[in-house]
Amino acid sequence: MAADRSAAELEHFLAERADHLLRTAVLLTGSREAGEDLLQMAVERLLRRWRRFDGDPEGYLRRTLYNLATDGYRRAGRWRQKERLLRTGLQPTQDATGDVDLRDALVRLLLQLPVRQRAVLVLRYWEQLTDAETAAVLGCAEGTVKSAGSRGLARMRELADDWSDTAAMCGQWGNRS
Amino acid sequence: MNNDVESLLREGMERFTSDLRAPAGLVRHATQRRRRRLALRSVAGSAAVLGAGAVALVAVVVPGVAENPAVASASVVKRIDKALSAAEPGEIARVTVTTRAATGPGAAIKTTTAEEWSYGDQWRSVSYSSAGHLVYDEGSSTSSVYTLVSYPTRTWARQRDLGRPAGLAQPNKPVVGGNPVRNRTVHPGGRILGPHGCEPTGGAVRLLLQPGLPGIGFSASAPPTTAAKALRTAISCGTFAVAGRDRVDGNEAIELTSRPGGLFTETIWVRPVTDLPIRVVVHSAPGQPAFRMTADISWLAPTSQNLAKLTVPIPAGFRRVPLAEVIGLTVLHLQGPLPRPICLPADAGTTCQD
Repeated sequence: MAADRSAAELEHFLAERADHLLRTAVLLTGSREAGEDLLQMAVERLLRRWRRFDGDPEGYLRRTLYNLATDGYRRAGRWRQKERLLRTGLQPTQDATGDVDLRDALVRLLLQLPVRQRAVLVLRYWEQLTDAETAAVLGCAEGTVKSAGSRGLARMRELADDWSDTAAMCGQWGNRS
Repeated sequence: MNNDVESLLREGMERFTSDLRAPAGLVRHATQRRRRRLALRSVAGSAAVLGAGAVALVAVVVPGVAENPAVASASVVKRIDKALSAAEPGEIARVTVTTRAATGPGAAIKTTTAEEWSYGDQWRSVSYSSAGHLVYDEGSSTSSVYTLVSYPTRTWARQRDLGRPAGLAQPNKPVVGGNPVRNRTVHPGGRILGPHGCEPTGGAVRLLLQPGLPGIGFSASAPPTTAAKALRTAISCGTFAVAGRDRVDGNEAIELTSRPGGLFTETIWVRPVTDLPIRVVVHSAPGQPAFRMTADISWLAPTSQNLAKLTVPIPAGFRRVPLAEVIGLTVLHLQGPLPRPICLPADAGTTCQD
């Protein structure tokens, strides 16, 4: 039987972990505003059961974030949205700035992936969970995690390869002039 | 390559979220929302139990508790006021202002934009022309040093202790009765001058005002106050009522509108999660000079990256000159893009144009 937990305990926990959870929520939703909304909803759910809550609050909040994100997107029909690659308008460069641009482009692409693929990539590469842990959070089979992750990464690699090719081409042009 | 993409993706995610801080009061907001939901559920439950035989009672109880617009508005306003009060010292307000206004009777409507930041005593405003060119960048540091950079004239100036316009920094005092537009001058660019009070159009509008160049007739350059303070004044004056729910950029928002009947209509959208305003729109009533101003507001954590936005950079090659010279040259160059104030009724005797 769990002892009653106070709101102060929850506040203390959130003071330490809310920033990280918000960052996860923003990666899942694509914007700060939507991320804050998502985190707020997750906290509300935790609060409902907080007094008798006997477990890992961070794990619970994380699972709730992912479930709410996937549910919300399903309800809003966003999962049907056609994926768009963000190659247009992105100009690679050859120096260190090129790396920074590619990182940004990868995140922008991530935000356009179907929510399930995005959730897998965020859990795997942001939260650094294993496939099995990711499957546990998302409540699906490990095989589903692997296939969603590999599809998402394949899109990332396409972008990165395309980026390298264009950068090389730009370099040749740059050398001619 | 696999590992490269994976590590670059992780670094990208790190960069993308690096300056994010969770809003304060997550538990408080969650508690409030839960209480509201429980109250509504309780009322709905009572109504169901009472059944058909108690229709009359339900009709009295339900609207009284859950749907009374005045009660709802008061509660929302109280929450917004509290959130702004917390945001005022703690967060940087970034406001993107888009203004569409006619520069005179029968003149074409021009659209201008400005980016503004305010945080404590610090503020900065970057103004763009209707063609999207940077016109001037101005701001005040913590030590009250005012800096103005004029891009068309490639000059800049810096001066200490310009001061704030008298009274603008003072909190508004409610005005009971009287003509809400008396003695008021409205600049087509959005600046409203006049006695301070809680008149309609008096509060939120001032938030949106571009600081303007000093010395051209309507201000020593300084924003009226921080965005949070100005909004708080507007909200707490009691001129706004909840109009319903809406979506702003895909996010849920509560819509509040000003009392009808003024020369301007103001609408404020507030995020239910943080209770902070995210958009304010002010537009002129039919028959008044065409004017519409939209302010999109973000509340940023005071990270070093965000604090850097409050500093006015001096571009290389720009010439330092006395402040009056920068202002004079800029105004001459602009040839009147900062139009003279226009008159509203009861403005006789002021310096506005008819």
